[in-house]
Amino acid sequence: MTIKILDPTVSAEETAGAVVAKRVGDLDGKVLGLLHNGKINGDRLLELVREQLGARYRLRDVVVIHKASASRVAEDTDLDRLARECDAVVTAIGD
Amino acid sequence: MQMTAAEHEVAGWAEAVEAYFERGWTDGLPVVPATADVVQRFLAAAGRAPGDVVLRETTRRRTISAEKVAINAVMAGCRPEYMPVLLAALEAMADPAFTLHGAITSTGGSATLVVVNGPIRKRLGFNAGGNVFGPGWRANATLGRAIRLITLNCLGALPGLLDRSTQGHPGKYTFCIAELEEENPWEPLHVARGLRREASAVTVYAAEGPHNVLSHYGETAEAIVVALADTMACLGSFSPGESFVVLAPEHVQILARDGWTRARLREALYAGARRTVADLKRGGKLAGAVAPGDETEWVHRGQGPEDINIVVAGGGAGGHSAFIPSWSRDRNSLAVTKEIR
Repeated sequence: MTIKILDPTVSAEETAGAVVAKRVGDLDGKVLGLLHNGKINGDRLLELVREQLGARYRLRDVVVIHKASASRVAEDTDLDRLARECDAVVTAIGD
Repeated sequence: MQMTAAEHEVAGWAEAVEAYFERGWTDGLPVVPATADVVQRFLAAAGRAPGDVVLRETTRRRTISAEKVAINAVMAGCRPEYMPVLLAALEAMADPAFTLHGAITSTGGSATLVVVNGPIRKRLGFNAGGNVFGPGWRANATLGRAIRLITLNCLGALPGLLDRSTQGHPGKYTFCIAELEEENPWEPLHVARGLRREASAVTVYAAEGPHNVLSHYGETAEAIVVALADTMACLGSFSPGESFVVLAPEHVQILARDGWTRARLREALYAGARRTVADLKRGGKLAGAVAPGDETEWVHRGQGPEDINIVVAGGGAGGHSAFIPSWSRDRNSLAVTKEIR
């Protein structure tokens, strides 16, 4: 005799209205954001990224934000600041 | 009650068990096939409609309904009457203080320890005695397993994807105990955490595996405290995070006989569970080389005595207690207690 089993899974919900930011062709004259997730060495990795990109482009400014903890999501105020002030953002984890 | 979960038809019981494996819906062990009629019984026992929201996890953008909880509870082997315990545990895990997303993702590999208190322990047959962390009791085994299946199936915490545990530990299959309140000369856990003694409650805690604290010849409170504090000070798990100390009946009887209170015990454990900065540096717990003064500068486990939760559980014979370190190395995930309603 056949039986019917029920799907136990839950899928991630779609994020209504979310759009991908415009891509930037290069970083000349742009503001770069660096978001460090709080893990060991993540800040050092991002510093290397800053050096590499700084050597390649004439960055107008760099905004560096450190999350207090890798276990927690970034604060809304930090994400809003990155969105408001930066043309491009790089985030990284170390460990 | 209208359910919305998709149904999959399979040839029979044995084929259903295999179908769960094929679809990646198990913890690696066979599950009980969840059919609509059984799931309805679980929802009825909980007094919940299928669409009732039990838990929202915003980072993973998941909303878990009562129907999905019941399906996974059936699969885990629970009985319908366990549902209120499971729902309370999930409510506790949804508390922001628990940091659910981090706790089930981290390389640290925590499992959710569930401690059950109050009259419901006996009514549902939760084990608080011998082999309390081990097998043999359906309520403990399946309640903890249901938490894991929900983490896997409803929160996407699949190993290698959204569960990045470096090693994890065996408690990730199931990790549920009850407190042996009858042997606790002080306040049981749920009372110490602010609930009425006659209430039934669950406490959830993102935990590393338990460390055995063997003190067979410790016939005084002082000797037991030395062994407990030394285990709590072990470098591997050393952090400012919370602690659970699960006292064996034999140990707590000696502590009570010698006139110790719960408060004194916590203060003594906090005072004793400490390492020098030099040790922490030599063991790779702190960065940098050992500097002058590091050998005499001490760091304690936790932030104070109040970070140490005391539970009594285990068999009547044997000087084996347990120390369970928090996964969280700081304040990122804290134990949460909820009343079972």
